[in-house]
Amino acid sequence: MRALGLALRFLWIGVAGQMQYRANFVAQLARSLVGLALGLAGLGVVLSNTPVLAGWRARDLLALLGVYTLVGGVIGLFVRPSMQALMRDVHLGRLDFALVLPEDAQLVASVGRVNAWSLFDVALGLGMIGYSALATGHMGILQVLTLVVTLLAGLAVVYSFWLALACSSFWLLKVENVLLVFDDLYEAARWPLSIYPGWLRWALTLLVPVALAVTFPAQTLRGQLGWWQVTGAVAAASVSLWLSRRLWLAGLRRYSGASS
Amino acid sequence: MDATAITTRGLSRSFRFTVREPGLGAALRSLLRPTTHEVRAVEAVSFEIGAGEIMGLLGQNGAGKTTLVKMLAGLLHPSSGEVRALGHVPWRREKGFLRRIALVMGQRYRLDWHLPAAESFEMYRAIYRVPRQECRRTLSDLCDLLDLGEVVLKPVRMLSLGERMKCELATALLHTPDLLFLDEPTIGLDVEMQARIRGFLLEYNRRRGATVILTSHYMADVEALCERVLLLDRGRVLYDGDLGALSRRLGTHKTVRVEVAGPAPELGRYGEVVERTATGARLRVPRESVPEVTARLLSEHIVSDLTVEDVPLEEVVRLAFASGVSA
Repeated sequence: MRALGLALRFLWIGVAGQMQYRANFVAQLARSLVGLALGLAGLGVVLSNTPVLAGWRARDLLALLGVYTLVGGVIGLFVRPSMQALMRDVHLGRLDFALVLPEDAQLVASVGRVNAWSLFDVALGLGMIGYSALATGHMGILQVLTLVVTLLAGLAVVYSFWLALACSSFWLLKVENVLLVFDDLYEAARWPLSIYPGWLRWALTLLVPVALAVTFPAQTLRGQLGWWQVTGAVAAASVSLWLSRRLWLAGLRRYSGASS
Repeated sequence: MDATAITTRGLSRSFRFTVREPGLGAALRSLLRPTTHEVRAVEAVSFEIGAGEIMGLLGQNGAGKTTLVKMLAGLLHPSSGEVRALGHVPWRREKGFLRRIALVMGQRYRLDWHLPAAESFEMYRAIYRVPRQECRRTLSDLCDLLDLGEVVLKPVRMLSLGERMKCELATALLHTPDLLFLDEPTIGLDVEMQARIRGFLLEYNRRRGATVILTSHYMADVEALCERVLLLDRGRVLYDGDLGALSRRLGTHKTVRVEVAGPAPELGRYGEVVERTATGARLRVPRESVPEVTARLLSEHIVSDLTVEDVPLEEVVRLAFASGVSA
């Protein structure tokens, strides 16, 4: 609860700060809408050639695009800005300020920077998921719960992945470019995992866990995710959170800040 | 409250780093077989600081001041030795400890660049869980002391360096810390702003009884704020004690400035002439001879102006490092 409260406070600070730039507000809204339009156009092109893509119908693909946009929005909202700032702060010694706060320093470092404009993507993603769920018409409480659990598990895995990459800056220089690889691979998650060859499916699930964060939750909307997969997603989330926490603590022991 | 704020026993911290000669060949060799050196940034430092004391931490660049402060604030693990601050082991970073300390670093800012400081105050209030009413009272005090007024309502990016530093101080003190680490708090500020910040820190220390550890290259900061100084030289304590005593011990001479009516006569017999002007001179005179020399100057010449000054603190500190004075 405390973590959520702190995240909301940082979010409010981010929104308040970025609302001062009206032109930027319009530009970012336009960027999100163009992104949505391109996504939908891509879907349209595919669906004009085939009504079903690897077993996914139009409304399933819309749900997938919705989860893709939502997860991308959350990454853009907290994860990317905070992790990029963490890497800079480690090198410049500015992490000191997070470490002297009476809060968990990992939490502060993880939600301390916000790109409020990503809220557009979060809203658009939620809208698409909602529309797709209504179109499906048979979502029970259990299915909604499964969707929420798999979404949270997926986000936890992706967050841990980013944190692990950001923590490598305690040992390495210039890891920012590695993060760009994530963005490129994340693009692949807008399509069902089953359209990709086996090795790529494996890579997108385990190596860079974008499929876990997008395909799994979208599959719950189709009612095609078994209990073992939900359990697996929760276990993967727990293990990755635990591992990234260990890496963070090891990094902190190594951190020496910068001299004045 | 405990009488002792900080205790350290044999506190040390080492860093390992890779060294190599310039050139591509050396870079390749270093990649295959790196040569590492170990530097002892802080070595066997032991001292105690009483609650409410202001202690200046002085040393040349690389003396270990920042490393020591970071160990005291819990930002660095010591390599060996013990440290306790406010009854806690700092590097464990317990919330009870962190709620009672503050760190201010000159030219490193925590305030959101785009927002008025008042907005950030509210966030730090929540982080430190300061009740709203108490926070309002503290802020009102801080704004008065720092003469902040409407400054807190302007976006931080629009503030001058001095205004920004004052807002940083207000942010750091919002939770009324008992232990304050100040690392070059007046760096880059103009003389008037430096004096204001010093005045504010003294007043805060007086009102709250807070313990303050100050590192600064500005001797005026140290002179105005600290009765006690800890001189660090290559990680070791060179001197720990009263600033005045150090000054008396090393300031064996005083500076006598004399101006006479008309052209300056030969003044070398009164002391070492450091600087000569058309109508006078600046003389370096042994401390014990000052009364006799000034009396002779006044009786033997028509003196238009005469001042006696202690050796500047910069000179005292330079002498301390040069002579390796010990506590």
